[in-house]
Amino acid sequence: MAIALPRVFRTTPFRLTLLFLTVFAASASIFLGYIYVATAGEVTSRADQAITQEIQSLTGVYRQGGVKSLNRSMVERAAGDRPFLYLLRDKTGQKITGTLEASPVEGFTDTPSSVNFKVTDTDPDGAEIRHSARGQQVQLIGGETLFVGADVSGAESFVLRILRAIWGAGALVILLGLAGGIVISRNVNETMAGLNRVVIAVRGGDIAARATLRGVNDEFDELASGLNDMLDRLERSMGGLRHVGDAIAHDLRSPLSRLRARLELALIEAEAGKGNAEAALVQALEDTEGVLATFNAVLAITRLQSAVDAPDQVRFDPGDLAAGVAELYEPLCEDKTIEFKLEATPALAVRGNREFIAQALANILDNAVKYTPEGGAVRLRVRRRASGEVEFSVTDTGPGVPELDRPRVVQRFVRLENSRSQPGAGLGLSLVAAVAEAHGGRLELDEGPGTLDGSGPGLRVALVLPRLG
Amino acid sequence: MRILIVEDDVEAAGAMARGLSETGIETVHAADGVLGLAAAQAGGFNVLVVDRMMPNLDGLTLVETLRREGDQTPVLFLSALGEIDDRVAGLKAGGDDYLVKPYAFAELSARVEALARRRETGSVQTMIKVGDLEMDLIGRVVHRQGNQIDLQPREFQLLEYLMRHAGQSVTRTMLLEKVWEYHFDPQTNVIDVHISRLRAKIDKGFDHPMLQTVRGAGYRLEV
Repeated sequence: MAIALPRVFRTTPFRLTLLFLTVFAASASIFLGYIYVATAGEVTSRADQAITQEIQSLTGVYRQGGVKSLNRSMVERAAGDRPFLYLLRDKTGQKITGTLEASPVEGFTDTPSSVNFKVTDTDPDGAEIRHSARGQQVQLIGGETLFVGADVSGAESFVLRILRAIWGAGALVILLGLAGGIVISRNVNETMAGLNRVVIAVRGGDIAARATLRGVNDEFDELASGLNDMLDRLERSMGGLRHVGDAIAHDLRSPLSRLRARLELALIEAEAGKGNAEAALVQALEDTEGVLATFNAVLAITRLQSAVDAPDQVRFDPGDLAAGVAELYEPLCEDKTIEFKLEATPALAVRGNREFIAQALANILDNAVKYTPEGGAVRLRVRRRASGEVEFSVTDTGPGVPELDRPRVVQRFVRLENSRSQPGAGLGLSLVAAVAEAHGGRLELDEGPGTLDGSGPGLRVALVLPRLG
Repeated sequence: MRILIVEDDVEAAGAMARGLSETGIETVHAADGVLGLAAAQAGGFNVLVVDRMMPNLDGLTLVETLRREGDQTPVLFLSALGEIDDRVAGLKAGGDDYLVKPYAFAELSARVEALARRRETGSVQTMIKVGDLEMDLIGRVVHRQGNQIDLQPREFQLLEYLMRHAGQSVTRTMLLEKVWEYHFDPQTNVIDVHISRLRAKIDKGFDHPMLQTVRGAGYRLEV
């Protein structure tokens, strides 16, 4: 079973702190271990050197003056302040003189080597203290053995102090590191908890939840503002989707209800042997066409609205495109004795989806021809504005749209009172607006050329596309 | 004429077959892409009507496979996908025409007929003759009973399309797509105005009108 650690110990910053501390402790141990080995080694080798020198000096005395002389020298030395321990024994191993009672060395080795041993001393209070010591033993020519040792407890306690300091410092570093880790984890944890709350809220369905920025411009603020941006976009596109659903439901429900009612009535009449079934079928088919046209228009508009950019954009000459659409509508104007004129600045360039822009232009012209009375005029103009934007504008001499109503006619299905007698579903300008927006442009509605002979003031509809580059 | 309908919606395929047989076209139905491919490979069809989205093997892959094998039978794609890029994908895969569901039956039969006839004019023509109407494709002039008829460039193209499909119904949408190359339906029937202008030029003053209106479908140039 896993132990449930407090949350703060499970955070990434805390784990990173632990990892860092481990690496730090390991490298510090190796470093300090090396220092210890080097220091301790130095202490023993110094002691050994001193001992070797003392032995050489004593054997010199022995060679010149024999045991007696050696004995005297040793007694003198022991009484002096030399820090050595001595033991001189005869051939049988009996102590002749010395400060030690027994030799810590049993037997002899060919090469003189140092040994560690303990000496017991009494301090001024009478308590026994054991000191660490090192020593070497040599056999003298006369068969006596000489042992010289040195008390190394002073040096050893120095090394031990270093060692204790090392451990203490290490423990302090680890404690401080852990404390720091906990503080950092707490801090990061709080920030992350804020972001997590947003994520949990959004997952729970609250798309409006947003992270609060701390205003310090660090990477957490960056993450929070990125998260907020993402949620903004998501909310917009969800709104778009909901809009598509609403639009289709709204726009198709009423024509479908009409169609259903008509078919039902036709069936009732046919069963009663009345009415004209064929005429009802023809009418139903026509209604269906209308529903489909509306459906396609709504779908096109909503798709354009939910798309960031219009698809398949190419660079083309707007004058050419306008000429093509104008050619399609010109005979219609002529039939209605409307004077039609195309004015296009040659060799302009725009970027866009030709198909959509042609359709938008056709919709504008369609409206213009529809609402302009006989004997009126329609002008299609393509020019570059001072701003570098390219505008397609259609000006007619129809009744126009009152200024207050202009924003409204762009909305789907809005048809002004006096236009109810005209065919159409009221989607034309909505599509134009959607096309303009999908190209980063806009749709503008203004007054036309003014009132003349009881007609007018007319309407000027402009599809404005952004400048290239 | 014999056509293959590859369509997984059995009811829609049945209605299509019934309607087409009314106009004297023999139909064979394949209910999915694999069966459709096998039937098409067996051959003997004037036109293949292929639904784009089907189980087992989709329409695009089916047609790509046929084209790779060198089969050039005209293909009409049917699809519920109506975006521009969907249509382009269909034509790239080797389709010859593209019809978005739901479609008017007149539209379907006119397009099937147009595709079936298209094959018969294989060689490069310099003259088209329909009855007493003559079109010189090199000199860009049209004569009827020896009288020259002056046409605007677009009127010439419109008449050329009608003459190439003489005796067949062509819909307004077909004319808009093939002559003007627009793939949207204008709210007002602008095509009708162009047709009546053309009619005034080629039929006025002649006792036998050639350019007929087909109720519920479109137009037909009669001999």
